[in-house]
Amino acid sequence: MISVKKVNNKPLNLLERIYLYEIARGIAVTTRHFFANLFNPKGLPTIQYPEQPVPLYGNARFRSRHRLKVRSDGSPKCVACFMCQTACPAYCIHIEAAEYQENSVEKYPAVFNIDLARCVMCGMCVEACPEDAIAMDTEEIPGGAADRTEFLMTKESLLRNRPGEPSLKGAANRLANEYLGSRGEQ
Amino acid sequence: MMEFFEANKDIILFTGVAAVKLAAFLGAVMGFAGIMTLAERKVSALMQDRVGPNRASVFGFAFNGLFQPAADGIKMILKEDFMPARAEKLLFTLAPFFALVPVLLLFAVIPFGDYFMASGYMVELQIADLPLGLFLILAVSGLAIYGVFLGGWASKNNFALLGAMRGAAQMVSYEVVLGLTLAGLMMIYGSASLQDMVRAQGRLLFGFVPAWGVVCQPFAFVLFLTAAIAENKRTPFDLVEGESEIIGYFMEYSSMRFATFMFAEFVEIILVAMLTATLFFGGWQVPYLYDTGFMFPGGALLPLGHHLVAALQVGAFAAKTVFFCWFLLIVRWTLPRFRFDQLMGLCWKALLPLSLLNILATGAVLTFLAR
Repeated sequence: MISVKKVNNKPLNLLERIYLYEIARGIAVTTRHFFANLFNPKGLPTIQYPEQPVPLYGNARFRSRHRLKVRSDGSPKCVACFMCQTACPAYCIHIEAAEYQENSVEKYPAVFNIDLARCVMCGMCVEACPEDAIAMDTEEIPGGAADRTEFLMTKESLLRNRPGEPSLKGAANRLANEYLGSRGEQ
Repeated sequence: MMEFFEANKDIILFTGVAAVKLAAFLGAVMGFAGIMTLAERKVSALMQDRVGPNRASVFGFAFNGLFQPAADGIKMILKEDFMPARAEKLLFTLAPFFALVPVLLLFAVIPFGDYFMASGYMVELQIADLPLGLFLILAVSGLAIYGVFLGGWASKNNFALLGAMRGAAQMVSYEVVLGLTLAGLMMIYGSASLQDMVRAQGRLLFGFVPAWGVVCQPFAFVLFLTAAIAENKRTPFDLVEGESEIIGYFMEYSSMRFATFMFAEFVEIILVAMLTATLFFGGWQVPYLYDTGFMFPGGALLPLGHHLVAALQVGAFAAKTVFFCWFLLIVRWTLPRFRFDQLMGLCWKALLPLSLLNILATGAVLTFLAR
């Protein structure tokens, strides 16, 4: 059943049909905006983006550039389990695993690349990570590069954490903590 | 050699002065047209609460977008100059010139000042004071249709041809109104020379109101402005082009050929602004300013030197031109586009009868006053 909405358009009165008065009213509106903005350009809502950073609000803060969390000794929390690479719908994560020589229980990523040019900022990698090792809370908005290679985040660039961030807390670090503790490096 | 100069002093002087006037006036117009391309984007941005172009910079100095016209020009020159394989090569090339040349020609008859005394010689501040300047304007602006139609026809593209048909129909229709609205002015001022009309607008009505065209013919002013915007093919009458939905006559044009059409449009804005200022707002006249200085209605006098008076008059003309250019931009960005039947209806059913009525009323009043 198609619903029909009946619109009661008022017929134009004489002043509106002459049209000039309405034109003058329209021009008055645009002229007011023109002069208001001409004499007060600071009042414009435009943000000059790259020079003028925007404070991210709400969940936008957790959809910014990725980072890899580190332990207090500077080693990545990532154990190269490939969960994020599997979860990634854009196939933008590339991991090559390696083993610690002195620690046979744990792997680490020898290569951890994220191609930001392909990333869709969905956050699935963060959801998938069992070690809480990847996060998207750097509040940097990727984009705007002169070359595609500039979009490629390597392990070294991903380990750029915010200051004061390395964490030893949490069950995910239990194995590592035990290992580090056994070596007396806690 | 010296004898040659002595013998032909008048002709050489005349040619030299004319060349200087041409260079100065056309240079100013072309420069201003370049700035208009920026002004169009800036004005539209400001009235829509945007910033507009402000990124084109030279050595890091952007001056809020002042280099944008240069950047646009460089971009246009560097673009591929495409021509459809089946296009009429000669006409396709000629069409942009047909669009630009008539518009530039018309600046010859527009007076941008009264006169200027330089070491004993009187220099008329007008390139050519034709006794039938107004008719020349109507005749030559009619030629601009060729640019539109040749462009659409030579492209061998059906959409371009349709756009050209719309353009030709619109321009032919509004030309009639344009001519008829000016008839009232000719009746009042008794001359078709623009300089004479401007001088006549220096008189005072009732001792204190300047006899500007807008005072004598307010109705004709509204009709003229409407018809002039339609002649200019700008929104709300831009069905010729209609860049957002219907396709215009220059759809096959690219690079500087397209830019020439675009530039012609911007030069035409300046032309319409200058014509409006000249015919209806006293041209270079400043109210109460005469050859020797200000003479206010109360009897107060303020004598000024000749050079200051001439500078004031040229400045007044420039200010009026800038104002009307701004006004045309505001109108263009305020009003929505007409439908084509509304456009034709407005011309033939509203503007044409009204302009005829205006002539009738002007004639009646003039006859009554002459009695």
